[in-house]
Amino acid sequence: MKKISPRQLFFFLACIAPVGKLVLMPSRLVVEAKNDLLFPALVGFAVQTGVVFCVLLLAKRGESFADMLAATFGKIAAKVLLCVFAAFLLFAAFLPLLEQKLFVQSAFYDTLPSVVTFAPFFLFSAYLCAKPLGSLGRIWDILAPVSIVGFAGIMLLSVGSADYGALLPAGAAGAGGFWRGLAAAASWFFDGALLLPFLGKIDYRRGTAWKGALAYAAGGVAVLFFLATFYGVFAEIALNQPFAFTKTSKYFSGITVLGRIDYLFSYALALVMAFFVALPVQACVDCVKQAFGAPKYLPAALSVLLNLGLFFLALGLDYRFVEIMQVFAQTLFWIFPVFCVAVPLLCLLLRRSHASQ
Amino acid sequence: MRLNKFLKTVPMKLYAILAAIVLLAFFSNDFGLVDIQKTAIILAVGIDKTEQGVALTSQIAVPKGSDRTTGGTSSVEIRTENATVSDCISDLQARTGWVPKLVFCNLILLGEEAAHEDVAEYLNYFLRNEYMSDSCLLAVCEGTAEEAISSQSALDDASSLAITKLFSDSSEKSGTVMKNTLKDFSIGYYGVSQSSYLPFIRTYVQEGAQGAQQSGGSGGGGQGEEQKIYGAEETAIFSAGRMVALLPKEQTLAFSMLKGNVYAGTFNTEEKGEIVTLTVLKDEGNVSLSMDGAPQAKLSLDVQVRLCCRGSAAPIEDVSTDRVPDEALKNAEETLRGYVADLFENCKKSGCDLFEFKRMLYRSSLRKYAEWKDTLLASLTAAVETRVTSLK
Repeated sequence: MKKISPRQLFFFLACIAPVGKLVLMPSRLVVEAKNDLLFPALVGFAVQTGVVFCVLLLAKRGESFADMLAATFGKIAAKVLLCVFAAFLLFAAFLPLLEQKLFVQSAFYDTLPSVVTFAPFFLFSAYLCAKPLGSLGRIWDILAPVSIVGFAGIMLLSVGSADYGALLPAGAAGAGGFWRGLAAAASWFFDGALLLPFLGKIDYRRGTAWKGALAYAAGGVAVLFFLATFYGVFAEIALNQPFAFTKTSKYFSGITVLGRIDYLFSYALALVMAFFVALPVQACVDCVKQAFGAPKYLPAALSVLLNLGLFFLALGLDYRFVEIMQVFAQTLFWIFPVFCVAVPLLCLLLRRSHASQ
Repeated sequence: MRLNKFLKTVPMKLYAILAAIVLLAFFSNDFGLVDIQKTAIILAVGIDKTEQGVALTSQIAVPKGSDRTTGGTSSVEIRTENATVSDCISDLQARTGWVPKLVFCNLILLGEEAAHEDVAEYLNYFLRNEYMSDSCLLAVCEGTAEEAISSQSALDDASSLAITKLFSDSSEKSGTVMKNTLKDFSIGYYGVSQSSYLPFIRTYVQEGAQGAQQSGGSGGGGQGEEQKIYGAEETAIFSAGRMVALLPKEQTLAFSMLKGNVYAGTFNTEEKGEIVTLTVLKDEGNVSLSMDGAPQAKLSLDVQVRLCCRGSAAPIEDVSTDRVPDEALKNAEETLRGYVADLFENCKKSGCDLFEFKRMLYRSSLRKYAEWKDTLLASLTAAVETRVTSLK
């Protein structure tokens, strides 16, 4: 079985996981927390950094998530728990998926394209989700530099247009704004939980846990810098600016002469995002695979089935995105702290399997 | 064995290649192809207030005939009138069969009457439209926007192209124009100061050029129509979305200097009763708010100049030097002080927080902002400092 090396894991945590937070999260944070958008994001990253550290400590055991669950709760209960966790991953996958769809339709098209334009993504996703999680390491090796170049390019073109004074006065949104911001952003902070299916597939070496947490924190700092720049560029109208990372860079003075060169960087990040968006579905397939063993046809069949389902769901809910966001941010936001904070922390209490002992 | 293994993986590889190709198509924006027979590429829109609601004049780029070899853009103007801007756009599509495309729209022109209403009503549609660039220029014009948009430029194929040229970087640096965009105007409008500004466009008849050049567009005006040139030396200032006053060109220059925009712009002063024109080489403007005791606005200008020209004959020794005499420097300081003071008074009188003093207070102290937010502008006094030095 292919294992993910620490380098590849750090690339994912520092360069790929943060990309999913650059699209709709910034404007959603501004809706709730206004100019205090950095505080809920900071708390989100701090908590997830801790969770990543804990999950990577579990990775030290070298056992899979399924083995640990089976050793603690028995085989049947482990299957049930894995299926519940897989269902959560599928749920978590839905918002980034719709985000990606709206982002491409809005940023890369001049008028609203037909609803089926997004269909090719599911072909790609179905292929990727049929592959084992361990094979992602090489992909992360390639995507990390693409992400760094894309992000650096966008920031380079954006910082000159930002008025960072717009972030003042700190605390203007009050405690209510902070908590609402935290709830609204919760659905983007599932990185720690995303690592659980990778247990047993990580080639753990000394210091991987704290280095991984540090890599994730570094990615978090980059996102916070982007959020500050985003609010600096748009100030009071930032809440009306979804698809943030394609917008902050377009006010660079050279663009009037050179054209939208910033699209090169946006395309780079969109490419990274396509892989990141498919990851929760891929992790979901892997969880089911861990629960029911691995007959050869299962991952491919499940991948096709899930992607087909998601495609029809995305098609059916095409114009209901605002309602979906509200459901995620106001009604079902608690699901994320449960599965992305409580569950990974409780996993520290799981027993080692007999084989491991 | 190897061949068998290879053949087994072929379908998956083909699938991966197919998925990659289709994904590329998904990101491609239909490879940027625009069917111009079905699309109205809107270059500019003019907005006027009418009894029914709003009149929208859309300047649409049309392909030139093959007999023309001059290049450029010809245009046609189409007027639609309805309750909202969105309705007008729908009417445009219904009556022409073209799908309106706003992605190339680089100018929104507001008629004078519309500018006296809360203009957010008219800008709402553009601010919401994901396919419209918010770096689009925004301006107010004398009279109706329809007249300005439909007028025939003496300099360009389309009036909007001639108007947008007024807002070039060099014009902005000369201090004669204060350009603004949809994004920045909206930030001012939705900010705590609720104030902003827009350039005010006047149209001038180009004497002697009547009918000399005809645009290729069907709505671009016929033979014998007056040709126009445009100016934007004045600036309309807004409070709560309504145009409340007009800054004359001297105050526009002062505003531009306070923003530190001016390089190579000129202004006049006097020496021994004669006009002297000075070129600005360095401009450092600063606006701050002091809340120690009574609220006071501090407006300061530190300008380095050189002699550009005299309004009277001068000996060759004088022509050969750029150095500005002390008397002219002193008078220049007085002139600029007067411009800045007039600008401040104009804003204060009209209730426009052009320098965003409320925002400064909001950012520095929420408590003081709550105390002063309704009375700050009326209570402000100005301390104007100007320093003009000559190029050595």
